[in-house]
Amino acid sequence: MPVWQRIYEEINDPDFVIICAAQDTGGEAAAGPIFDAANPTYIQVVDENHQISSAFNFVNVPSAAWIDEEGRIVRIDEGTYAKIHAIGEGEQAITFGNDVYEPALKDWVANGADSVHVQSAATVAGNIRQHSKEQEQADAAFCLGNLFRRHGQDVKADQYWEVARALNPDSVNFIRQNLTLTEEGSAGEQFRAMRSNFERTGTDYYRPLDIKN
Amino acid sequence: MAKAFMAYPELRSPFEAKEIHPQGSATILYQGKTITLSETGGGSELLINPKDLQQVNGFVIKPEGACLDDLCIPLNEQLLLEQDGRQWFNLTGFADLLEQTYVADQEAGVWSFAEIPVKRDNMMLNAMAPDIEVTDRQGNVVRMADLKGKKALIVTWSSW
Repeated sequence: MPVWQRIYEEINDPDFVIICAAQDTGGEAAAGPIFDAANPTYIQVVDENHQISSAFNFVNVPSAAWIDEEGRIVRIDEGTYAKIHAIGEGEQAITFGNDVYEPALKDWVANGADSVHVQSAATVAGNIRQHSKEQEQADAAFCLGNLFRRHGQDVKADQYWEVARALNPDSVNFIRQNLTLTEEGSAGEQFRAMRSNFERTGTDYYRPLDIKN
Repeated sequence: MAKAFMAYPELRSPFEAKEIHPQGSATILYQGKTITLSETGGGSELLINPKDLQQVNGFVIKPEGACLDDLCIPLNEQLLLEQDGRQWFNLTGFADLLEQTYVADQEAGVWSFAEIPVKRDNMMLNAMAPDIEVTDRQGNVVRMADLKGKKALIVTWSSW
């Protein structure tokens, strides 16, 4: 989150807004402290039902859409890392992210429709994930599970989260959100098994970032 | 032993068990909203008071049908019906007609609806942002339509 605040301050344009939405069924308790630590001045949303992901057919975090002054989406659904991150040290270190997204974003805010990073409506429409009826229904099942969770009815909460996961097996959001409630967490053995399965089946964990240096 | 990466088993059951709504009511989930209605019927179908339709999904019943902006869906006797001497609107029948998916827990009286596909055409075909609204951490309602005239980056993240 600090990275988005830095970028927001550097852009410093009153006609540019960032809406940063935590996809977190844990609500303010899970996401609030992380937001607060970044001292953000952009719009912060704690999105317990993953409503933003549902509206844009996102299946993983971080994902993003760029929306222009007329409400047209000009880029969508990319692994939205604004720097290169590293977890661990030495040979064990895992790095991810990129250093091309941030300059591309700044170029768009500065140059608008003239930016080389603006995509046509046809390209954007082609980049929006096409969800099946089952995948749409998965979102409804997930929200239903969340309602039961908030009312302390965990058996039914788990039941409908499982329905959601089965109806949309491509949703990393559903799989990892579910795993947070296990002892192994969202990056344990089951997560690694999911990654292996995605690689075996050729399923995108993120759509490859189509931005050149 | 170090805690597993991003494991929050303590958040599994942070809430006390409680009823979702008073007995005899039904709860509808749609577009991030939770709506509880006291006047419902229908068993496996969800019948609601036609007057409640607008607060559920924005549609208003007019002589030409159920209407939202320029879209009007003609209503037949399966959708706007008389039963037990009163008028009902068949909300699940309407969803079926619009190919809107939903998941119901009839035991609990909760119906959770996905978005209405025709309302997404402008995004799926023309790349126009959906006119959703979200509430920020300060309690302000932010509508996509209110962002007109500005560029916006919508970005998701998570604590996990």
